[in-house]
Amino acid sequence: MKYGDKIIRVEGVIVEVHDGAIGIDLKGRLGYLEVPVRMVISDYPFEVGQTVAWNMSFIEQEGPEVDEKYVSRLNIYTQKRRDIAAKKKDKEED
Amino acid sequence: MSITAETAKQHANDPAVLCCRAEEGTVLAPSNFEDPAIFPDLIDSGLLNTDGALKLGQVLNGSKLTKTVDSLTPITPDIIDKYDELEGEEEAPAEEAAPAEEAPVAAPAATLAPVVGGTIKLHIGEGKNIDIELPAGLGGGAVAAPAAAPVAAGAAEAAAPAEQEEKVVRTLSRRHLRIDKVERGPETKIENHVLYIEEGIEEKAVESEKLVQSLKIDVITPDNYHTYSETIMDIQPIATKEGEAELGEGVTRVLDGVLMVVSGTDANGVQIGEFGSSEGYIDENMMWGRPGAADKGETLIKTEVVIDAGKNMERPGPIAAHKATDVITDAIRKALKKVDESEFEADLEEFKQVRRPGKKKVVVIKEIMGQGAMHDNFLFPVEPVGTLGAKPNVDMGNVPIAASPLEVLDGCIHALTCIGPASKEMSRHYWREPLVLEALHDPELDLCGVIFVGSPQANSEKFYVSRRLGQMVELLDVDGAFVTTEGFGNNHVDFVTHIENIGKRGIPVVGFSFCAAQGALVVGNKYCNAMIDNNKSMSGIENEVLECNTLCPEDAVRGVAMLKAEMAGEEVKAPERKYNVNVKTNNLELIEKATGKKIETVENEQSLPMSEKRREKYD
Repeated sequence: MKYGDKIIRVEGVIVEVHDGAIGIDLKGRLGYLEVPVRMVISDYPFEVGQTVAWNMSFIEQEGPEVDEKYVSRLNIYTQKRRDIAAKKKDKEED
Repeated sequence: MSITAETAKQHANDPAVLCCRAEEGTVLAPSNFEDPAIFPDLIDSGLLNTDGALKLGQVLNGSKLTKTVDSLTPITPDIIDKYDELEGEEEAPAEEAAPAEEAPVAAPAATLAPVVGGTIKLHIGEGKNIDIELPAGLGGGAVAAPAAAPVAAGAAEAAAPAEQEEKVVRTLSRRHLRIDKVERGPETKIENHVLYIEEGIEEKAVESEKLVQSLKIDVITPDNYHTYSETIMDIQPIATKEGEAELGEGVTRVLDGVLMVVSGTDANGVQIGEFGSSEGYIDENMMWGRPGAADKGETLIKTEVVIDAGKNMERPGPIAAHKATDVITDAIRKALKKVDESEFEADLEEFKQVRRPGKKKVVVIKEIMGQGAMHDNFLFPVEPVGTLGAKPNVDMGNVPIAASPLEVLDGCIHALTCIGPASKEMSRHYWREPLVLEALHDPELDLCGVIFVGSPQANSEKFYVSRRLGQMVELLDVDGAFVTTEGFGNNHVDFVTHIENIGKRGIPVVGFSFCAAQGALVVGNKYCNAMIDNNKSMSGIENEVLECNTLCPEDAVRGVAMLKAEMAGEEVKAPERKYNVNVKTNNLELIEKATGKKIETVENEQSLPMSEKRREKYD
């Protein structure tokens, strides 16, 4: 990475709380992050609206290559979800 | 930041560098100095140059500044009025010079023997593999006693107290039944090494759990490993207790060549355990042969469970998927109970829980996840790796719980693991737990038991369970302890707190975790001096390959050697600042040399088939 050591403090707001995960909106609508709770260090039970902060750098593209393994995985996954949605729709129409 | 007198003493041989601006005439005190622990970073970034600096131990004896200087100025003779001469160093400087994370089994012990009457002063400037022998009568006989301790320690147990008899506490036997083929049939049964699974058993499984919408069974044979699978949540051996035997003793019947695999999604197609993304082609996504994974040649009975939409991230969701799968496993267990004894392999695999009084007493502490949802484990089911009768450790408050080593090997943990795929310990891992096996079979160790402790989410709860663990270890009166953890993240907070709570009671402790590049510890303390990194991946990251970075026999061997060295009073060398796999290789070589046994190391993800693109990217 070319800029990997440029660390920026980022703040966010907890917008979703699940048993095993939380969803965080980066302040300023700069993105959304969903992480397992074990990746978060916490002192109190999670609640929507609590603020969080962490350090990160910008995300750098590693190169122009495409990893076919991930592409095929993603295609199978999205196709599956599409099939499920279609099936659901059929059921509702019946 | 300034340091305390205690830190200054620890770092007496490190360069003295001011932490803040100091005026002319200041009498130097520990509070004037920067913590030497951060020097390497400062030197790397060019902010500091400690060449020619005096040592901390030289300038804390009333030295006065003769000049006003800025922060981060190293103390040199020209800016202070006086300094002490360098004293003979008590520890062999080889410790600093040799790049090693871990102490070798028979570490070269350079000792300074205090002698009554007359002086023997040993100073070793730099060295490796130094053996020093002194005639026993030297110094009027007084030398024999103090010198004996470190020397005997190197050979670990050479001079152990009077040999006491080994005691077999209990025995666990595994009766193996080879399965050649898995087929569907009108009922679940085992005949002539063929396992038949009842047609339509899926419906029973679905009915058993409210949240489960559907369940599909795939039988994946070795010629069919290149099959797409949803995220693999767990891999489980299929076993049952014989007769009235309880978990951890008696006879366990186990099927060879076949495993249960739990996978699934919610009704919207979202993975259960969305974060443990090991979905994909099984052959590319599993590190075959790891203790917790499948071995090449085994047939996988994979369930694909669909649970209610949105329940994938709530605790009941994954639990339902596991319980529904267990309906099928349980049917197989019942069939296994009925098989005639003559069909099993003639030889029983026997595990003896041996206590060795007089040997070093040790305990294995396994930190398991307890943050909620998939970060949970069922403890102590009635059947090996079952769900019936088991209690989730989250519900039990994650407090430390004692188990016998044989209970661990008999499937007392049904793991509801989640992340990360490469470092989580699945149910099968406990079935073949390398550290428990290594400690149990080591004739120089007296393994008194295994403690499971959960890792809760909130810090306050982490410290709560950690204090209980410390107290429990204290009352066990052990000579040493192993602490292991799985995955990485906030569980490292309690992992190091466990080590602290044990270490501060004066008990040597060795920690095991995946750290390397991505999982580096977020906190640490002075007791975290002996650590084993479970990393196997080439780049030191969570590489999404199931079980790749889990504890393997090679790690157990290193950990046992390290704890023995620590218990013998040898110092464990400081690690390099960045993860370096050579440290591990060096240590393994040292252990091989000392024990004369060849240690087989496992392969990493590089041995798996992967797309050309990926090969280009990572190699």
